[in-house]
Amino acid sequence: MSISQYDVIVVGAGHAGVEAGLASARLGLNTLVVTTNLDRIAYMSCNPSIGGLAKGHMVREIDVLGGQMGLAADETCIQFKRLNASKGPAVRGTRVQSDKQLYSQYMTNQLRNHPNISLLQGEVKRLILEKDLCVGVVLQDGSEIRSKATVITAGTFMNGVMHIGLTQTPGGRVGDKASVGLSNQLADFGFTVRRLKTGTPARLHKDSIDWSKTLPQYGDEKFYPFSFRSERKFKLQQVACYLSRTTEKTHEIIRANLDKSPMFCGNIEGTGPRYCPSIEDKITRFADKDSHQTFLEPEGLNTDLIYLQGISTSLPEEVQYEFLQTIPGLENVKIVRPGYAVEYDFIEPTQIWHRLETRTIRRLFLAGQINGTSGYEEAGAQGLIAGVNAAQSVLGREEFVLSRDQAYIGVLIDDLVTKGTNEPYRMFTSRAEHRLVLREDNTIDRLGEVAISNGFVNTESIQALRSLKERRSTMIGKLRSERLFPVAETQEKLTNLGTSVLLKPVSFEELLRRPEISCSTLHEFGFEMDLDPNVSEPVEIEVKYSGYVKRQMELIEQSKRLEELRLPEELSYKEIRGLSNEEVTKLSQVRPRTLGQAQRISGVNPSAIQAIMIHLKGHKKLKEVALVGESRITN
Amino acid sequence: MNGSDRDSQTICAVSTPHGVGGISVIRISGPQALEVTRGIARFLPSKVETHRVYFGTLHDPQAQEDIDEVLVTYFQKGRSFTGEETLEISCHGNPQICQSILNLLIAGGARSADKGEFTYRSFMNGNVDLVQAESVLALIESQSDKAQKLALRQLKGQLSQKLESIENDVTWLMAHMEAGIDFSTEGLELVSNDIITIRLQDVEEGLKSLVQSYRAGRILKDGVRIALAGRPNVGKSSLLNLFLEEERAIVTDVAGTTRDVIAGDTQFDGLKFTFLDTAGIRNHTADIVEQIGIKKSREAHAEADVVLFVFDLTVGFQPEDEELLKQLSEAKPFVIGNKADLLKEPTQTPGFEKLTQYADFAKRNLFFVSALDQNARALILKEISKRFSQTDLQDYVLLSNARHYENLSRALSNSIRCQQLLKEGLGSEFLAIELKEALIAVQETLGKRFDDQVMDRVFKEFCLGK
Repeated sequence: MSISQYDVIVVGAGHAGVEAGLASARLGLNTLVVTTNLDRIAYMSCNPSIGGLAKGHMVREIDVLGGQMGLAADETCIQFKRLNASKGPAVRGTRVQSDKQLYSQYMTNQLRNHPNISLLQGEVKRLILEKDLCVGVVLQDGSEIRSKATVITAGTFMNGVMHIGLTQTPGGRVGDKASVGLSNQLADFGFTVRRLKTGTPARLHKDSIDWSKTLPQYGDEKFYPFSFRSERKFKLQQVACYLSRTTEKTHEIIRANLDKSPMFCGNIEGTGPRYCPSIEDKITRFADKDSHQTFLEPEGLNTDLIYLQGISTSLPEEVQYEFLQTIPGLENVKIVRPGYAVEYDFIEPTQIWHRLETRTIRRLFLAGQINGTSGYEEAGAQGLIAGVNAAQSVLGREEFVLSRDQAYIGVLIDDLVTKGTNEPYRMFTSRAEHRLVLREDNTIDRLGEVAISNGFVNTESIQALRSLKERRSTMIGKLRSERLFPVAETQEKLTNLGTSVLLKPVSFEELLRRPEISCSTLHEFGFEMDLDPNVSEPVEIEVKYSGYVKRQMELIEQSKRLEELRLPEELSYKEIRGLSNEEVTKLSQVRPRTLGQAQRISGVNPSAIQAIMIHLKGHKKLKEVALVGESRITN
Repeated sequence: MNGSDRDSQTICAVSTPHGVGGISVIRISGPQALEVTRGIARFLPSKVETHRVYFGTLHDPQAQEDIDEVLVTYFQKGRSFTGEETLEISCHGNPQICQSILNLLIAGGARSADKGEFTYRSFMNGNVDLVQAESVLALIESQSDKAQKLALRQLKGQLSQKLESIENDVTWLMAHMEAGIDFSTEGLELVSNDIITIRLQDVEEGLKSLVQSYRAGRILKDGVRIALAGRPNVGKSSLLNLFLEEERAIVTDVAGTTRDVIAGDTQFDGLKFTFLDTAGIRNHTADIVEQIGIKKSREAHAEADVVLFVFDLTVGFQPEDEELLKQLSEAKPFVIGNKADLLKEPTQTPGFEKLTQYADFAKRNLFFVSALDQNARALILKEISKRFSQTDLQDYVLLSNARHYENLSRALSNSIRCQQLLKEGLGSEFLAIELKEALIAVQETLGKRFDDQVMDRVFKEFCLGK
């Protein structure tokens, strides 16, 4: 039995584990990443894409905070799209399709090449606990590895069971074993452990598809990379996706075989995501729809695999064959790997703090699907935060927590630890009440200084961040100070652009507020533009929508009043009059930091918030203090 | 039992209006309500049933004497207005009897309830929403029959119902807006902008009718505010005394005696009327005090629901009167020719022809009266009240609370702006902001959303936090 010692151990090397390991290593800590399969680091087990609505926001946040996901996605992009481009500026989302193998390779290299990271293949069977302190892990061979902090990013592997038809196989992903032991230990310790379900569609062989019956969908030509550190140039050849649709016949076959679906015959107890239903679900719940769209997405440049977006299923393989052949283009399809559902354990996330440390075991951090989320971006975001906080705790520094008005990551974690979840949690823009100020384009404004002051980014990045910030303020200054005069030439240009002529000289800022004018038209009027979209986009948006941005800021100020009303930790909710039993239970479980957080707990009514406030005012227990940097991680 | 916590003490108070009535009701609420009441109501059986009335004689255990024959109703915890264990004693409506019963209850461990405290407890226990709680307060303070009816309707939850239906519509709109944003890649069939517009118009209509009802609702609650306007010494103060049926204003025959806005209340036909007496307006006066009075008068005219313009029939309708009346024309004033008793044929008064351009008898906005004639009061007040009760108010939900008015006005402008944005083709996230703000305003009105400013009001109105 060998004993070795690390500062931080990260269990798992998926999208959460990779970010956790790198975040800890960046802060200078001796970090070990343990995974059951070194060939599948940062593997895209489901769709071959990064980003999307609200998810693209998180990738950019991870990037500014020093994380790797954005760079990896930019580097391996084989199709780029800006979603919701026609909608408002805050809900635009960047999405790239990545070459799956190259993505995994890129991340593997990042881990291998980092001087502070050691990689180890092995299965963690249990944690080494000294009372309520986690001091390391035990592997399947019985060897112990000691650490000062441990991050678990187990994905779908804890007690994972895969379902294809009525056949069940233990495992977290095709080709990989389940990990048994860890969640039982946590349950024994007193954690509430529950089941969730997710699914993935079949992978098809590209040569078996009749592409002429599908509609090609091309990406955007203009590339806006996720990372402020990436070049605005595609590194790889860009490819198309292909659109097809299910038919009446498809639905008929699926309906006739529902008794062979593990979801419908009760074999699966875990809850699946409502926003990402299986095709069986779609057909049952929306019986009136006679067709559903599906995108055929290549999984990479050097692979034959095609991902069938929108058609996740856990029907038996022969049924999958039967119904897929009714989809135009798939008449002679060859399935390389059938779709399947996977059930796994997760830890009810109301049992962890905002810093992602568990409430009952110190120095134990959880990130990713183990906290009930779904999606690579959600996992990466938590991985980064957990890795940072594991490191901070070892270094004896303050916890690192982002607020809801600062980042989608703040919304994600606050939702999880406050509300818990009943289905795999995915980020949506509508979850962010301050959506208009949480844009992709202003990520640097929101998080740049945070990243610099916490030491998350290197000197080169600091310079890049600071320079972008300076160029933005220079451009705003110019827009405000330089004026346009109502001379004949100008008036004619304005008329040609379909906007009214000037009655008096105006600043370029005022001109830019007009709907017909954009940053790209300003140079026609002699305004010298900064052409970098990283500079011009946020400036243009702030100018054009300043009224709304201002209103949103006011709302943030208002909600801050409640966020700053700190609740005493020893508060006994049982003693507060006017709370229902359910409210007492929920409040005692979540133990909200502030009255603002208490308000967000589902099942806690406004009258309960009033009751708490009255109780505290009556007892003068309400401390109106700022939260920032106040709580220290207990050692 | 935690005695230091005011909220867990047992409280008692007379809950019927002050003064001598046939019967008074004393309410006792709190964890010890039954125990305290038993101390003087020995006739209560050992096991009382909820919502049952018990007859017996109250007895003072100290003085060893009977106080009154009463009916006692028992409401068990969770099934009363406050949500707490409650008893109601119906005794004879004599203030001395009531007081001695209260004294005994207090001696037995209860304390005297603060203003609105029963309602506060009911609100805290989730039995009434904020709108309803405010209605109870309004009911307690209501000063006319119609105001009471309005408060009762709100207590029954009619306003809440209407607001909830608006809330529902806004939520529907938001759901569609958000689906269009977050699931734009899923090929959803979204509702058309036309349908969104129709639903927005519904929301706008609903809010508009409530916002517009505020004036009527406020009038019912606070009364009609009437300003008397006119040149000095035309007899405004005498008219005021006539309306108020008392000697309120100083009446002299020296022009410019009244220098302050004096408010007085009167009731007529179930409505309350508040009179703002105003200094007579002369365009050129050197008297500074009088000038201040004049400034106040102009403010009063602007605040009033009704302006009564008064001129002196013995002097006639002079150009100065006309000038003043013109200034007031927006307020659609009633015109009163005063001192009709001093003229044989009042319509022969100088300037009568001119006057008929502004008002006439047929439209019932012109009256020739004498401040000494008692009938004049009823004649004029009846015409005024007609202006405010043309709709059958029974059928309408009216807004009477300034906070509700402010909230819903905000929501109304959100719903209007939202339609504009839709027309301009602005992104749905901006529409969503307008909708969200509207939703917040409606929910704050309903008390469904925690608002610390409301809490400040609650603290103020319910005398808490001591």
